Amino acid sequence: MAFDPVVLFFLLGAIAGLAKSDLKIPMAIYEALSIYLLLAIGLMGGVKLAESELLPLLLPGLAVLAVGSLIPLIAFPVLYLLGRMPRADSASIAAHYGSVSVVTFSVAVAFLASRGLDYEGHMVVFLVLLEMPALVIGILLARMGSRGPTRWGKTLHEVIFGKSIFLLAGGLVIGFIAGPDHIEPLEPMFFDLFKGVLALFLLEMGLVASSRIADVRQYGLFLIVFAIVMPIVSAILGILLGWGLGMSLGGTLLLATLYASASYIAAPAAMRIAVPKANPALSIGASLGVTFPFNIFLGVPLYFWMAQTLYSLGG
Amino acid sequence: MQGDDMYLLTVVAEAILEEMLIDEVRAMGAAGYTVTDARGWGRHGKRRGNWRAGGNIKLEVVASSELCERIAARFKEQYESDYGLLMFTVPVALKN
Repeated sequence: MAFDPVVLFFLLGAIAGLAKSDLKIPMAIYEALSIYLLLAIGLMGGVKLAESELLPLLLPGLAVLAVGSLIPLIAFPVLYLLGRMPRADSASIAAHYGSVSVVTFSVAVAFLASRGLDYEGHMVVFLVLLEMPALVIGILLARMGSRGPTRWGKTLHEVIFGKSIFLLAGGLVIGFIAGPDHIEPLEPMFFDLFKGVLALFLLEMGLVASSRIADVRQYGLFLIVFAIVMPIVSAILGILLGWGLGMSLGGTLLLATLYASASYIAAPAAMRIAVPKANPALSIGASLGVTFPFNIFLGVPLYFWMAQTLYSLGG
Repeated sequence: MQGDDMYLLTVVAEAILEEMLIDEVRAMGAAGYTVTDARGWGRHGKRRGNWRAGGNIKLEVVASSELCERIAARFKEQYESDYGLLMFTVPVALKN
C-alpha cells in the first residue's frame, strides 16, 4: 500500500522526537500553520457549499449529528464498565473520541485529492457541528454523580470562540460568500499550497506525538486497544450512514474519518476546564499517541476500502 | 505604588487557567500583573510550551503582603486540587 507522502512527514517528526533530535518547530510557526489549515479547510468547504442547495441538507445534517452523538455514549460505558476507568477519565476520553480532528480530516481530504475524488462541501459544516455535541455529552457524563459547579460559561466560550471552530466557521462563511468565481485570487495561497503546509504541520504533529508515544506503555493495554478499535467502530457507523444518505464515495470517506477521528486540540482544552478531575495525559495520549497515527496511516485507507466495497456491493 | 512591604507573588500554572486567574487578580484589586509563557517539568509532568492547552504561564503580581496572601489563598482553594499550580512570594523594593 502506497502512503500519501504527507503522512511520511508525520513519521519523520516522530522519529526526530524519539531520537531526541534538536528539531523544533517554533511556536509562532506552529500557530501560523494551524491558522492556515483551519482557514483553508473552511474556505474549501464554503466554496463547495456555495454550489449546492442548502435546504435538502437539513435532515441529513440532523442524522449526522444524531449518530455522531452516539459515539461518546458508546465509548463511555466501554471505558467505565469494561475498562474500569474512573468516571471523569471515561467521560473525558469519550468526549475526545466523539469530537473530531481537523488534521485527520485534512489528511483524508488530501487522500481524496490525490485520487481525483470529489466530496460534498457540507462535510466541512459537519466538521464544525460535530466538534461540540460530544464535548457537552462528555461533561454531562462526568457530572452524573459528582458535586461542585461546572464552569459552563468558560467552557462554551472556549469551544465556540476557540480558534478552531472560529476560523473553520469563518473560512466557511467567507468561502460561501465568495463562491467559486470570486475565490480565484485566493486559490494559489489557500488551495494550491494546502498539501505542502499540511506536510509541515504533520512534521510538528509527529514531534508532539512522539512525546506521547513514549508514555503509551503507562496507559495499559486496554486503552491502546480502545484507541484502535473505537475509531474503526465509529468509521463503520459513518460509512453505513453516508451510504444510507446517498453521499458520494468521497463524502462517505470524510464522514467515516470524522467519526473515527479523536480531538486533541479543542477537546483537551474544554475538558481541562470542565472536567478537571480527568487526567489529560490519558485522553491526549490515546487520541494523539495512538488514534491519530493509526488513522492517518491505516485508518483512512481502511475506511476507504470498506466504503468502496460497500458501494460496489450495494450500488 | 511605591511603599514599604511590597511583595512579588509568582504563580506558575497551566496556560488554560490564564484568563480565569487574571479575572480573579483584577477582581481582588491588584494594580497590575505580568504574564509570560513558560515551560518546565514537575509533578504534573512535562509542560510543553508548544501546545495551547498544555503549556504553562508565569503570572506575576506586585502587591501588599495582605493582597498577595489573599490571592494565593483564593488560587489554592479554587485550583490547587485539580491543576498544576506553584506559588511563592518574595519581598521586593519598587524603584518607581
